[in-house]
Amino acid sequence: QRFRFCGDLDCPDWVLAEISTLAKISSVKLKLICAQVLRDLLGEAIEYEKILKLTSDAKLESGDVKATIAVLSFILSSAAKHNVDSESLSSELQQLGLPKEHASGLCRSYEEKQSSLQDRLKACSLRLSRLGSVSWRVDYTLSSSELREVNEPLVHLTFNVQDGERGRTAAIPMALSANKFRVLLAELKQAQALMNTLL
Amino acid sequence: MLLVLSEEQKVHLGCLPRASGTAVGELGRLAMELLRRGAAPRACEAAARKLSIDVDTVQHGVEGLSYLLTESSKLMISEVDFQDSIHVLGFSDELKKLLLQLYLDNRKEIRNILSELAPKLPSYHSLEWRLDVQLASRSLRQQIKPAVTVKLHLNQNEDQTAQVLQTDPSTLLHLIQQLEQALGEMKTNHCRRIVRNMK
Repeated sequence: QRFRFCGDLDCPDWVLAEISTLAKISSVKLKLICAQVLRDLLGEAIEYEKILKLTSDAKLESGDVKATIAVLSFILSSAAKHNVDSESLSSELQQLGLPKEHASGLCRSYEEKQSSLQDRLKACSLRLSRLGSVSWRVDYTLSSSELREVNEPLVHLTFNVQDGERGRTAAIPMALSANKFRVLLAELKQAQALMNTLL
Repeated sequence: MLLVLSEEQKVHLGCLPRASGTAVGELGRLAMELLRRGAAPRACEAAARKLSIDVDTVQHGVEGLSYLLTESSKLMISEVDFQDSIHVLGFSDELKKLLLQLYLDNRKEIRNILSELAPKLPSYHSLEWRLDVQLASRSLRQQIKPAVTVKLHLNQNEDQTAQVLQTDPSTLLHLIQQLEQALGEMKTNHCRRIVRNMK
């Protein structure tokens, strides 16, 4: 059977298996655990001790606690990935056997954070490099060893480019004559106009 | 298949007949530690003091024993061949039995250690992808050129490398088809026969 939150594919076996573990926790505590898992997905620190306290009533072993976090992580991020609304998510989780109160608690947590989650996933998407900053300087060449009176402006540009994920910044310096710089500026303005038509 | 021991190794192992049963057991334990964790000169010194043998003899004995054990385990020689190989050293029957027992007890573990020494190719860790559409370039406006950018994360002996690849959708479909064909090979009669015989 196909599920929207799994990207219109079958639900993975391990997720199916852990639904019964989720049902062992009370629905109120499950909503609080969801809140913790959402913090982790949004890049904030997860408070593992709080989760341990919340699962202690259900007498889960440490392996089950980790499985609970993993399955909630999967459900929430996959639903955000495929832009599933919270009612559809709730009905699909109930089809998998999650009790109604648990599903609605989970989906209410999801709904609150759905757009922040999607923004975060967009920011984490594959990106090869990123322009950090541009620094520039305009000089005026008076004279050189080749020619006594040069009298020309010169632009120094440095692009600070950040590598994809390791965040290493590489500085790419270049010097351009006034004409070359005009060409560069004109081309970039054309690209900017094209980008604006798409926004 | 018989083991061939060099003259130097025969001299190293020559200290064993003079040692008591417990001493041989201790040297065997040190030899296994050498294989598990590498050289431990202090352990050899401690053993030398405890057994009242000098350090060099202990060191040589341990090295000779570890060679004997690794070569026998590597070649997976039978008991009879093991006995015949150490026969040239002129050991007592009791010592031969001790060494044989040492070999048989540790053979499996040594083979596990040896299997990890084989060179490894980079293996798959994870994959990130992105679908883009090129709408315009400096030379040509009004284009529609889809492209899939893939970042392949590979693991090689704890080194993480990443390869960035880019392809158009039709090549990607061809790639998927080829990989599915490769997976499909496992279901042919030829592969099934081999897998059955290996089990």
